Amino acid sequence: MSLINRRGLLAAGLALPALGARAQTTQMTAAVYPGGWDEALRAVLAPRLLQQHNVAVSFDPLFAVDQIAKARAARGTPPFDVFVLDPGPRVSGMDLGLFETFDPARLPSRAVLPTGYADTVGAAVAAQVVGIAYNPQKLPKPAGWRDLFQPQYASKLGLTGFGTTFGTISLIEMAKALGGSETNMDPLFAELRRIKPSVAAVAAPAAMPGLFQQGQIDVMYTNTYTVTLLRSRGVPIAFAVPESGAAAFVTSMHIAKNSRNIAAAYQYIDAMISTPVQSALALDPYFFVPVNKDVTPGADVPMRSISEITNFVTHDWSRINPLRAGWISRFNREMAG
Amino acid sequence: MNNAGVWRLALPLGLAQLLFFAAPLLILLSTSLATDENLTQGSLRAWREVLGDAFHIQSVLNTLRLGALTVLATMLLAVPLALVHMAAGPRVKRLILIVAVLPLLTSVVVRTFSWIVILGREGVINSTLVASGLATAPTALLQTEPGLILALTQIEMPLMLLPLIAATARIDPSLLDASTSLGASLGRTLGRVVLPLALPGLIAGATLVFASAATAFISQSVIGGGRLNYLPALVWQQAMVVFDWPLAAAMALTLMGSVLMVVGALNLLGRNARHA
Repeated sequence: MSLINRRGLLAAGLALPALGARAQTTQMTAAVYPGGWDEALRAVLAPRLLQQHNVAVSFDPLFAVDQIAKARAARGTPPFDVFVLDPGPRVSGMDLGLFETFDPARLPSRAVLPTGYADTVGAAVAAQVVGIAYNPQKLPKPAGWRDLFQPQYASKLGLTGFGTTFGTISLIEMAKALGGSETNMDPLFAELRRIKPSVAAVAAPAAMPGLFQQGQIDVMYTNTYTVTLLRSRGVPIAFAVPESGAAAFVTSMHIAKNSRNIAAAYQYIDAMISTPVQSALALDPYFFVPVNKDVTPGADVPMRSISEITNFVTHDWSRINPLRAGWISRFNREMAG
Repeated sequence: MNNAGVWRLALPLGLAQLLFFAAPLLILLSTSLATDENLTQGSLRAWREVLGDAFHIQSVLNTLRLGALTVLATMLLAVPLALVHMAAGPRVKRLILIVAVLPLLTSVVVRTFSWIVILGREGVINSTLVASGLATAPTALLQTEPGLILALTQIEMPLMLLPLIAATARIDPSLLDASTSLGASLGRTLGRVVLPLALPGLIAGATLVFASAATAFISQSVIGGGRLNYLPALVWQQAMVVFDWPLAAAMALTLMGSVLMVVGALNLLGRNARHA
């Protein structure tokens, strides 16, 4: 397909009058998480992409599960060119055949990524470190996941279920600390049943930061990003690495099946992992955990480089995903009433 | 215009409804009767899971109960206000109307999140109670059914108040004078004259509040939290997180069916009231 034709020239000229002279601008659409990600990529990635590759990106703010649902409902005509997903939805997208085969060789910056971070499915663009967040003015630092079930913490605890990646891996880590495993949640559910009457809140994942800010809960499980962001807004909050280790996972980008802007999509992902963008995203007010080996993570992140991610607890989502629907429904039932 | 042909005016909306409402509804129904969203095979599995499971039945009942209690609470507050409106002068009337409409001008998301600030452990209500010595420790309000009903009462109030005011405003004041001059007490006048005449408005309001509160997904999940289970959040979870579309479809139809039954019953009540 030729990118330069009369209609394209006209459209680009109309859409971007200021850039009328560079009329061969390619338009693409990328899904992005609402909130912090949306702000960060609009401010840092989009201008660089336009400047370097003359690609104008418009963003479609959607949570990971919503991206999968929207792409699935579109049945073959992708509503956006690039997905950004956590490991759980990534596996769902693979199972549903929603991605183009990815060729890491088309990323000129691929050397900045640790081995294995770009494969035939997509490329990692950010890391997340998950552990315990607590209010240091109200509670002593918890030592590990088991502490959350002590009366002192349980009565201030905000619980969220298996609906998100961070929720799922935190609950799995608790199950492991209580004698279960990545696939055995029974000890966890037994303990949840015990502390349920005293737990401060059982809430939707998106509601957790607000509940923390309002003092409804003083301890929760979350990623370092949320902790740094809340603290930058003046909320007393600190991150505790559990004694069994913090859990880490990567957020990755994928090209949508049948995308008509594949070249631009590779440029978009390449710009995302490039050192200037990853450096800018690691700073205030974005606080991303970089996947670029040359960029140092922020102070709250308990690693000095992405190379240390091998020291963190990771999970096998191809084993978790088939069990997750059952855990979600069991969590609903156990927490009811 | 020939009266017989007047139905044709409804044709554009009718066709749009057929295309954009009836057809998707049919797809929803067929999805609920299939093994997966591609409708490869018929199955009653989803319906068995919704109707044959105590947890799901309880969620249906919770949802209907929430709607009913919100209707009651809005009615308790709206009826006196409508009576004040009826008796008031033009300036107070306008003030009441503005106050009634005001909440509609902020988004339901904003209204819901402000209730977190009000109901929270360190929120406005609890800090007032504790500071004034009326309570020694914060009471749980957020994530409880009473807290949710309180918030929904404020959020849904305009839907009750506006139809009610529209109905009471149409009551001829001379009827009240007639009732009084014939010796009826104020209570009797309210019960025998005002209430029957205001009933259509009250029922319209109850219908709107019920349907809106029972399906208030955001308020239910943000203020209600994970310990209270209502159908809208379960539909979302099955469709978006678990990807079990047949189960989500069956739940969505159950929600729609149960809300429609209550709305139908209210309608019937309204019709009978007019004939009485």
